[in-house]
Amino acid sequence: MTPPERQTAASGRDDPRVRWFPVAAVALAAAIALLAGPPLVVFALIEVMVFALFATALNLVLSYSGMVSFGHAVYFGIAVYGMALTITRLGWPLWAGMLAGPVTSAVFALVFGAFCVQLTAIYAAMLTLACSEVTFAVIFQWFELTRGETGISGFVPPMLGLAPGVYGLIVLAVVSASILALWRIVYSPLGLTIRAVGQNPARAAALGHSRRTVQLIAFVISGFFSGVAGTLFGAFHGNVFPDYLGTLITVNGLVMVLLGGLYNFAAGIYGAVLFKILDNLLAHYFQYWQVAIGVILMGVILVSPRGIGGAIQWLARRLPGAQR
Amino acid sequence: MLLQQVLQGLMEGVTLFLIASGLTLIFGVSRIVNFAHGSFYMLGAFLAYQLHSRVWPGTVGGFFLAIFLGALAVAALGVLFEHQVLRRVYHAEELMQLVITVGLVLIVEDAVRFVWGQNDVTVPLPDALLGAAVVGKTYFPFYQLAIVAVGMVVLAAMWLALRYTRAGIVLRAATDDRGMVALLGINQGTVFTSVFGVGSFLAGLAGGLSVAFESVNFLLDSRIIVAAFIVVVIGGLGNLYGALLGALAVGVVKALGLLWAPRLSMVLIFLVMAAVLMTRRLRGGVE
Repeated sequence: MTPPERQTAASGRDDPRVRWFPVAAVALAAAIALLAGPPLVVFALIEVMVFALFATALNLVLSYSGMVSFGHAVYFGIAVYGMALTITRLGWPLWAGMLAGPVTSAVFALVFGAFCVQLTAIYAAMLTLACSEVTFAVIFQWFELTRGETGISGFVPPMLGLAPGVYGLIVLAVVSASILALWRIVYSPLGLTIRAVGQNPARAAALGHSRRTVQLIAFVISGFFSGVAGTLFGAFHGNVFPDYLGTLITVNGLVMVLLGGLYNFAAGIYGAVLFKILDNLLAHYFQYWQVAIGVILMGVILVSPRGIGGAIQWLARRLPGAQR
Repeated sequence: MLLQQVLQGLMEGVTLFLIASGLTLIFGVSRIVNFAHGSFYMLGAFLAYQLHSRVWPGTVGGFFLAIFLGALAVAALGVLFEHQVLRRVYHAEELMQLVITVGLVLIVEDAVRFVWGQNDVTVPLPDALLGAAVVGKTYFPFYQLAIVAVGMVVLAAMWLALRYTRAGIVLRAATDDRGMVALLGINQGTVFTSVFGVGSFLAGLAGGLSVAFESVNFLLDSRIIVAAFIVVVIGGLGNLYGALLGALAVGVVKALGLLWAPRLSMVLIFLVMAAVLMTRRLRGGVE
């Protein structure tokens, strides 16, 4: 039983064109739901969009760069602290604080990533976990700065003080732009290098690409966009707690990507939608809904290892008139 | 006080070693990063709770027999899981294998909540283990000494089995080069299944022993699996003796951390791990 050749997205379809029609259709449907839907739907949709961006950013690391991150919630939550603290402590205006959020995440990703890329495989993954646990502990204990468990609120009115639908549209715009930017990155020359390193570091090295540098770049990009998601989440709720960078966010992000299907760019989107549906529907009627997620995860791997994304692609290829 | 904490640390270290040794054995042979190992540990604890009132309740023998039987049941579950599910994904990528084991984690966690509820369960220690040996001014509780002793016995048995039995030789050979072992005509499936069974047994045993000092509830799995991975990573994946050193170090650091900086003891352990990883990298050991 020899280890298999690493397969990644590039081994399937490798088409950098954005298929604008489905993208526009989904965005339009979301916009209509945001403006016309009842508040509960709007709130659920905003969370789905935020986590779709977070999971897509995490997926850049998982599916393309060949790293595993067990501590990605840090780059989600620290952005909200960055925003909250620059606004409350430094008196920055709202727009500057919201820019400071993702930048904070990118800086943390740069510092932690610099350590993590020194290692590979499970060792690197454990180091990402260590970074996140230590950051969580510091945030939790440093009461004078972060107010610990109490959290910080009031640095921004919930949903920026806008109507839910309007804030939803802002989230839709930012999330769509960010995901398209990530798409462009994955299919740029830089993205090609990232994928090369993820698939075969030795061959990439022979072409002159340092694994560490390339993985660090991917990690920082992922951290930045995780921070964008975190900032949107923080502005949505108008508060921040240590739990924003806790294990649960990390695990949910991972589960979303895995449900959506590794090595598929849209995994984060599919996964976030399915996860929210399962969370909302099953959790209401069925206390033990983790079982369902567990069974689905196992089933996905055994039946369709590429997750929902893989299944959708498989179907699309078999539709009449599909381009091969 | 200090010595007492060290003994407490050694006791936790011994159970940590038992669970980590299973993890590292499984990885060494089948290259599976088994996240469900913490779930096996938790099941071991709950099964010991379920069984302790059935077999000679209140006696030391019954206490350990319940733990042993629980561990056997966990081993059976492990074998079933390996044979029915994991076997299908040995050829898949690491991440896929990881997802399968995470799926089992979620299922077991909810199953435990369903069967035993959300609250802590406690197993009363047999009277004979409640006392303490007094040396000077230091108290050494009997149950801690007993757990350390059981750990020593298992460790000795493992060492003897690995060194002198045929199965042990096959296992060591498979850790070195499993392709070569297959070429020698040894059935790989059997090796993988038995190693997984032994590993699960060790996890169940560790979990059963933990009822003496842990609060046993459905969150036990996530608490322990992180610690077990830290131990394995410190020791080096697949390295049994490294896991022993790592487990004792983590146990003692955690116990001493509780003495001096109670809220930071887990952070301390993560920092130790990070330091070990970074220094090992400088010597070129982890890539």
